[in-house]
Amino acid sequence: MREERTKLLLTWLGLSFMVIFCLTPFFFMIMVSLSKDPTFLSLQKVKYLLTLRNYIHILRAGSLHFPAYLRNSLIISALVAIFATFVAGLAAYAFSRYRFPGRVLIPLGVLGISMFPQISVVGYLFKIMTGLGWINTYNALIFPYIAWALPLALWIVLSYFMQIPQELDRAALVDGASRFQTLYKIIFPLALPGLFSTALLVFIFSFNEFLFALMLTTDQAARTIPVGIALFQGLHGEIPWGHIMAASTISSIPLVLLTVGFQRYIIQDLTKGALKG
Amino acid sequence: MNQGLKAKGLWGIYGFILPLFLFIFGFILFPVVGTFWTSLFRDVAFLPKRFLGLANYIRLLKDPNFWRSARFTLLFTFGSVALEVALGTIFALLLNEKLPLRGWLRAAVLIPWAIPIAISARVWELGYNYNYGLANYLFLKLGICSGPINWLGSGTGAFLSLLLADIWKTTPFVTIILLAGLQAIPEELYQQAKVDGTNFYQRFIKITLPLLRPVLLVAILFRTIDALRIFDLVYVLTHGGPGGMTTSLSLYGYKFFLSSDFGYGSAVSVACFLIAFSLSILYLRVGKFGRN
Repeated sequence: MREERTKLLLTWLGLSFMVIFCLTPFFFMIMVSLSKDPTFLSLQKVKYLLTLRNYIHILRAGSLHFPAYLRNSLIISALVAIFATFVAGLAAYAFSRYRFPGRVLIPLGVLGISMFPQISVVGYLFKIMTGLGWINTYNALIFPYIAWALPLALWIVLSYFMQIPQELDRAALVDGASRFQTLYKIIFPLALPGLFSTALLVFIFSFNEFLFALMLTTDQAARTIPVGIALFQGLHGEIPWGHIMAASTISSIPLVLLTVGFQRYIIQDLTKGALKG
Repeated sequence: MNQGLKAKGLWGIYGFILPLFLFIFGFILFPVVGTFWTSLFRDVAFLPKRFLGLANYIRLLKDPNFWRSARFTLLFTFGSVALEVALGTIFALLLNEKLPLRGWLRAAVLIPWAIPIAISARVWELGYNYNYGLANYLFLKLGICSGPINWLGSGTGAFLSLLLADIWKTTPFVTIILLAGLQAIPEELYQQAKVDGTNFYQRFIKITLPLLRPVLLVAILFRTIDALRIFDLVYVLTHGGPGGMTTSLSLYGYKFFLSSDFGYGSAVSVACFLIAFSLSILYLRVGKFGRN
């Protein structure tokens, strides 16, 4: 009985630490974004005054380009999520339904490729994109993002397709449906929740990406949120922390809501992606 | 029945894989080969391109800044992975208990994972601010130190600051993976051990750790490969400073691309690639080993 009580106490102590540790920076960000003077924690007693001024400023001030960064990030991430999931779905159909040389080796090889460091391609990608005239366009990011999201997407979609009984689509093929019809009339609808959660994970991945966006974009025409916020500087040397934190909060809230809302799927997919390999 | 399927031919099947191939070749494998190729040249702005053979690599081996970056990257990787796995194990054990609000607790743990690194790095940058950061505020309030600390001003301080920010960001991933491993351990094992009169610590050593080992291995290797390519956090939080002491290998390579020295930058990138590649081979080996 004593052991049980100690354990319960330790569990709650541990959980409190865990929650405080994970949430403090998040709440700190929100608090600063709502403060009139971001130096409220300084030793000279500065009062904490609530204001929405920071939010209004970053959404209104044309020189900061925050709405443009946000729009770029949302459009690029959404397109990458859709296309990467679709391409992964096509390939996963072949890998899960047919026996052919490379059926096992190719997905493994693709998984190995996902371990490459991004720095090992970014210099040459810059040359390619310069050659194509794509620097500072959406294309410069969309194509590499799809490629880099595919290993994870392939493995997750593959694990969902494996769960669908093969008899279902065999029957359709025998009835004279083409392979592509079988895929989009039977397998895609059945695996829809899985495809959706794959797309969600790819969306979060693309929204997070930094190195390619830093190297391949030059201004608000294609620059994404992480780079925009990282390069956010004040005009007169003083860093505008209130504005940065307001921009950070606006950009984080959709991701946090998606993550909290779909945590069951995300947890499932992350573990699949990691453990199936 | 199956005959009909085969008669349609194998080529149709490769058609389904073709888009995957095109993307992976065009934007991963081809640029990797291109980087190898470029690393054999003098490829600098305003000078004609010239074949150098392995000269860039010889320069690399003699470059003290490269070795400093390599040392920092490896130290950072080992430090962060060790601490993340330790903390992630504790978090996973806690979340594996039958608790009220378990869903909400899990959601809270996932929040650091959801926020882009570049954004959280700026939050940490403000948190470490000398005059009005949260870290100094807490340390002074709790009486841990007598005066404010210049967190990002010294090599050790910047290293520890990066470590903490990285642990915050990636422990959720480790926690989630390990939690899945814990949930796969049959409850009966623990019940039986309890009947046998073992305490919590003994059960952890005798049951949990051995059965969690394969999952722990996967988490460690995934995190190691990810930590080796660290870029965003360093770029935003310390800019590689002070005095280049926290320049990771990826950031070191990037700095040459930025100044249009593509030849040498590519050589640095290839070195980075080789380190990660040998580790991913190890990963696939271990993965296979774990399945058998």
